[in-house]
Amino acid sequence: MKPGIDDQSKPQTMIQEKYTKRYQNLKVAEALSNNHFYPFACNELSSIIDLGYSQLPKDLKAFIFRDCLSAFRLLPEMNTSAAVSAANLLVKSVESAFPKQKKNLAIVEFKQAKVALKRRTKSHDEHIDLPSLPQDILVHIFSFLDVSSLLSSSQVSRSWNQATSEGSLWRSLFDLHFSHKVLIHIYPGIDWREAFKNEYILYKSSKMLRSGRGYCSYCDSVVWHDNLRCPKKQCRLKSGKKPLDLMLTHQVVNYLLGTTSSSDESDSEDEAVRGLWAYPTLQ
Amino acid sequence: MSEADMAIIKPEMMMKSYIWLETTDGSIQQVEQEIAMYCPMICHEVLQKGLGAGSSKNCAISLPQRVNPAMLSLILDYCRFHQVPGRSNKERKVHDEKFIRMDTKRLCELASAADSLQLKPLVDLSSRALARIIEGKTPEEIREIFHLPDDLTEEEKLEPLKNLMDDPRIRLLNRLYAKKRKELKEREKLKGKEVEERVDERSVDDLLSFINGKDHKVVKTSKSKKKNKKRKEHKNKVSHNLHSKQQGVQIVDETAASLGGVSNLPSMEEDIFSLKTDSEDGYVDDGMDPVLKEMLDREVEDFARRLNSSWVLSSGQERQPVHFSINGNGATRRLTAFQVMLGSLILLMVFGWQVPEFCGVTVKGNSRVRISGLTGTEGGDEWFDLSYIILDEASDPPKYDNVPADREDLVRDVLSSTLLFPFELQLCISELELL
Repeated sequence: MKPGIDDQSKPQTMIQEKYTKRYQNLKVAEALSNNHFYPFACNELSSIIDLGYSQLPKDLKAFIFRDCLSAFRLLPEMNTSAAVSAANLLVKSVESAFPKQKKNLAIVEFKQAKVALKRRTKSHDEHIDLPSLPQDILVHIFSFLDVSSLLSSSQVSRSWNQATSEGSLWRSLFDLHFSHKVLIHIYPGIDWREAFKNEYILYKSSKMLRSGRGYCSYCDSVVWHDNLRCPKKQCRLKSGKKPLDLMLTHQVVNYLLGTTSSSDESDSEDEAVRGLWAYPTLQ
Repeated sequence: MSEADMAIIKPEMMMKSYIWLETTDGSIQQVEQEIAMYCPMICHEVLQKGLGAGSSKNCAISLPQRVNPAMLSLILDYCRFHQVPGRSNKERKVHDEKFIRMDTKRLCELASAADSLQLKPLVDLSSRALARIIEGKTPEEIREIFHLPDDLTEEEKLEPLKNLMDDPRIRLLNRLYAKKRKELKEREKLKGKEVEERVDERSVDDLLSFINGKDHKVVKTSKSKKKNKKRKEHKNKVSHNLHSKQQGVQIVDETAASLGGVSNLPSMEEDIFSLKTDSEDGYVDDGMDPVLKEMLDREVEDFARRLNSSWVLSSGQERQPVHFSINGNGATRRLTAFQVMLGSLILLMVFGWQVPEFCGVTVKGNSRVRISGLTGTEGGDEWFDLSYIILDEASDPPKYDNVPADREDLVRDVLSSTLLFPFELQLCISELELL
């Protein structure tokens, strides 16, 4: 054996291990089994596949493949349209990037999941009359929700809509998202929902919240944030009121692949290049 | 304590005292006092009314309406577990997680009942469980689970989102539509036969004037002349370029190419939006804050870009940025025009039809647009005539090649899967067949 070859293979395996370790730290697989995080995890998988599948070392590819399969297997249990969409997106990524054999396996799994899903939704047709929940209970329930769920709830029915307009809900959301950034002049009769909305637009929160990811400086890791906080108790205690630094999906992918990007703008453009409008017909 | 005391106390301790509880349906049951007293409401009743309360069948404590016998037994089970002081936190947690596993209906009843008995830990537990059920679901799904009626009007549904961006825009757009409709009718009368050849031009014209016209509508008359001039200029350039083109297929290619070479995209979008923002200096019509407008414009731009980036093609080949053939100097402009068209289609869909929070748009060959989705009117499929905006008697528009059979579902899911939060209206385009 020539010494040159040996030298080359060693750093390679180190790099491979580094990638794999990072991926495991990301805990994508665990998020998949959680109803709330499933769509986020699927999207992250899609992004990883889209943005760098070919660059990945072999064992990491295997991990990703395994996680894709489990994503499809878990799909029937996640009974939301968001989950279905996320899974569809994942399938698209799989179709475009995976080698033939793996692709076929994954697609088979996906199709089975879809069938199971259909079966589930069919058996769903009981028309029971549910008791109507009193307003203060509704408000209490809503106090545990995140922004998007709260907004969805506001569109459900009249009584729910009324409950969501409760100022205290929006105030605590405001505190959660923005109090560390914004000094707001509180006057009697302030409309907290409006205040929240204004800051939300200003800080482009929806973009930041889309990944479900944040960086916790206390445990120095990329985590699935639990209402903008680190899921680990110790970090929560240490950080107090301060929320996590939110991350975008492509930032997570960059972390995994060890690539860096100069600015946000260029990143979103890169993504745009890779994702194309659906007008095929190319010569 | 002396032995004697102990002797006296012991039998008493052995003999548990019971309380009688009566539910609204009239049934009365006997419950160990210590368990029942775990509920603050019962505790208060006993203390208030004196020791006689609940001591016999006749003076049973009547429970609030929301507590039915089934719930009462559930709650008592809960109390029975938790009132024992010796349990560790972990034990309690494990018990709670098992306890709370029940169907939604019972959870609701439980939350109600616990609340009326003022049993806060149980209220929290059941509320959290319900919140977990609600989390991440669309309104339609929530309605299904909780069997709630869909009794909000579309206006009311959009209320929280409204002032964000829709209000002035929708008004503007509605006015614009009315205007456009008129204009088109007039033009139809005038043009007649030339329609076919001019198809592309007109559509783009319409689009551009739609976009520019938005400003036109809104700006004061002194500025309108300037706007018109600018608009005409722009129009001419674009129509000229389109004219030199032949058919939809190639145009589609170009579009695809344009999207491949996205470097144009951001600048082009900026073009559109800068056009808009230019006109907004100093005008106060509709009370729309220009700063806000700019922010909103940027949001739409963002939105369109996101749509682009999330759209994933099926075949690996298509992912390569396509090099586009340049037919003379018109190339970039041409691309821009089509992006404009698509962009405005999106704008249209997003803002013009205030109805859907989630809608699918199908643009068919005979220039009608179908918007389907969760508009709340039984699946909400409605046909809107968009001919006057984009598709002008386009006969036999070309389809794409290689469209997978299940594209519709997929495309819809891809778009909606960008996890757009409700502050932005969700849009999906199920099938776009262009001119």
